Amino acid sequence: MSAPRLASNALRDPWWLRLPLLMLALAFVALFLVLPLLAVFGYAFEKGVDFYFASLVDEDARAAIRLTLLVTAIAVPANTLFGIAAAWLITRFSFPGRGLLLSLIDLPFAVSPVIAGLIYVLLFGAQGLFAPWLAAHDVKIIFAVPGIVLATIFVTFPFVARELIPLMQAQGSEQEQAAITLGAGGFAMFWRVVLPKIGWGLGYGVILCNARAIGEFGAVSVVSGHIRGLTNTMPLHVEILYNEYQRTAAFAVASLLALLALATLALKQLVGWRMRRATPADGTHA
Amino acid sequence: MSIELSAIEYRYRDATALAGIDLAIESGELLALLGPSGCGKTTLLRTIAGLEFPDRGRVRFEGRDVTALSARKRHVGFVFQHYALFNHLTVFENVAFGLRVRGWFRRPRRAELERAVSELLELVQLGEFARRYPAQLSGGQRQRVALARALAVEPQILLLDEPFGALDARVRADLRRWLRGLHDRIHVTSVFVTHDQEEAFELADRIAVMNKGRIEQIADPETLYTHPANPFVCRFLGEVNELPAALHARWTGIDDERVVAFVRPHDLEFSAGEGGARVEQVRDLGANMRVEVRHPALAQPLVAVWERSRFARSGLAPGRSVAVSAQRQVLFRGDAPVDAAERAGNALRDILVTHG
Ligand SMILES: Nc1ncnc2c1ncn2[C@@H]1O[C@H](COP(=O)(O)OP(=O)(O)OP(=O)(O)O)[C@@H](O)[C@H]1O
Ligand SMILES: [Mg+2]
Repeated sequence: MSAPRLASNALRDPWWLRLPLLMLALAFVALFLVLPLLAVFGYAFEKGVDFYFASLVDEDARAAIRLTLLVTAIAVPANTLFGIAAAWLITRFSFPGRGLLLSLIDLPFAVSPVIAGLIYVLLFGAQGLFAPWLAAHDVKIIFAVPGIVLATIFVTFPFVARELIPLMQAQGSEQEQAAITLGAGGFAMFWRVVLPKIGWGLGYGVILCNARAIGEFGAVSVVSGHIRGLTNTMPLHVEILYNEYQRTAAFAVASLLALLALATLALKQLVGWRMRRATPADGTHA
Repeated sequence: MSIELSAIEYRYRDATALAGIDLAIESGELLALLGPSGCGKTTLLRTIAGLEFPDRGRVRFEGRDVTALSARKRHVGFVFQHYALFNHLTVFENVAFGLRVRGWFRRPRRAELERAVSELLELVQLGEFARRYPAQLSGGQRQRVALARALAVEPQILLLDEPFGALDARVRADLRRWLRGLHDRIHVTSVFVTHDQEEAFELADRIAVMNKGRIEQIADPETLYTHPANPFVCRFLGEVNELPAALHARWTGIDDERVVAFVRPHDLEFSAGEGGARVEQVRDLGANMRVEVRHPALAQPLVAVWERSRFARSGLAPGRSVAVSAQRQVLFRGDAPVDAAERAGNALRDILVTHG
């Protein structure tokens, strides 16, 4: 027992090095994470509780909240399905283009969200590639809700797939094969074998995807057109309010986003903890 | 249900796993696939199950061509080497799985399902573990859950991939006797993979010895042991001494051909006297003694394994000079066995004895 302790003591830095490092890290966290968060709530309540709630129930604020919820409600389930399908394809089949698909999944992480938004404008905008067809069929995508949904889906695409691919790779397909030999069809196998196995990992991916879908600014900003009450999501609404010198109202809406972020963080911790607890019990290969 | 495989070939991207397999398995038979690691046993088993589709050749069940049929529709019980139990389900639910995923019109009613699963758990002696999860079982218990799960769908064919591979020697021996008993009761056509020849001999009605994607020989254990088709089979069935020898025509007195005599360690005889060979080492194996003898004409030492009492009577000790002979041997000329008729017309001249 004493040998490992000695080893870890040997690895430990002396206190005069450790203490300043620790202080530095704490100062960093305080300055860049805690202080801004406190500032958001401070400014939000600077004109009192009544003003705070008034800012939230304002016509445009409610429209922005509704739109954000709508976009999230479409983008998250869509990306959950895409993510599961992509992870399934990549981990269970070998086909030409598999490597390409893997890198394409990462594309939204690699390109700036603004570029992503611009690509949609170039494709679907008034001068875009599909403009004639869209005009002929009276479909509006850019500066409308469909564009916002598309941009959000694009930006949040990797979260679920990225979470599931390593998980499904590690688990292997033997249990699925066992299910097939027992007569399970695709649907039964998915519900009874695949989903319970990836459950917590999936939850983790969905939470991250959800957080990003709510908070996405860049790509959405490009395709939205900032039409009040129509194409403003919560982050865009915050920006507009701030630009119009309605600082307190802007921070009130922003505090809502901050609360969501905190809730996401808590949920993420919980799921991560459950996930780690679920894994060791998986040892059939003993 | 009988199984016929004809001219099965299977290639992975960079390796030929099966290079033309012909195999007929009778209904109710218990067949062992025996062979060294990487010879294609698992691939062959997966081909029968429909988890792998051959590049060439046909698979037939009871004369019906099932080559293109998916594993889901083949109705074959498969026991995976690492069991592949569903970790998130209890033992009961693992066994019930195959019944629960049936189409609703074929799904048994609740009471019926519970009775069927309980019966199976009794059969594999796991009745009291129904509520446990796989992670809470020992290796041997998991193994039996995997078996019960495969049997739950009442398969006509049962395939087992190294069913005892991950267990310790004691549990292995118990389980295989138990499996043999089970097979004698339910008579499902069974194929099991192993690379342990003792296991194959104890369990199987017939044994197919595989090497590099081909079947070298298929026969009952007795025939396999006494009449191996080629040196590979002979070597694979256990330790064997290879002694150079000559076939000596009785009437003309001419040494017509060099052959190799394969002699099992317990068939090897050493008698005290001048033979050019020398006892090098004696090891105590418990029930038996292992004697290694060095002969100047051979690169490898000759190995004999004798019972203790026989060893004691022989009076051998390290350093003693001995003459070598064999009680029983199998002769090969190149890769082909020397048949009995040819043996009868010739005398075997042991090169070690004559030139030693
Ligand atoms: N997924 C795969 N991709 C490429 N080659 C493979 C794959 N699986 C098996 N092989 C190759 O095919 C050959 C046969 O493999 P197989 O698993 O059937 O052997 P085995 O007899 O079951 O061996 P073991 O006793 O070690 O389980 C081997 O040479 C192996 O390297
Ligand atoms: Mg194998």
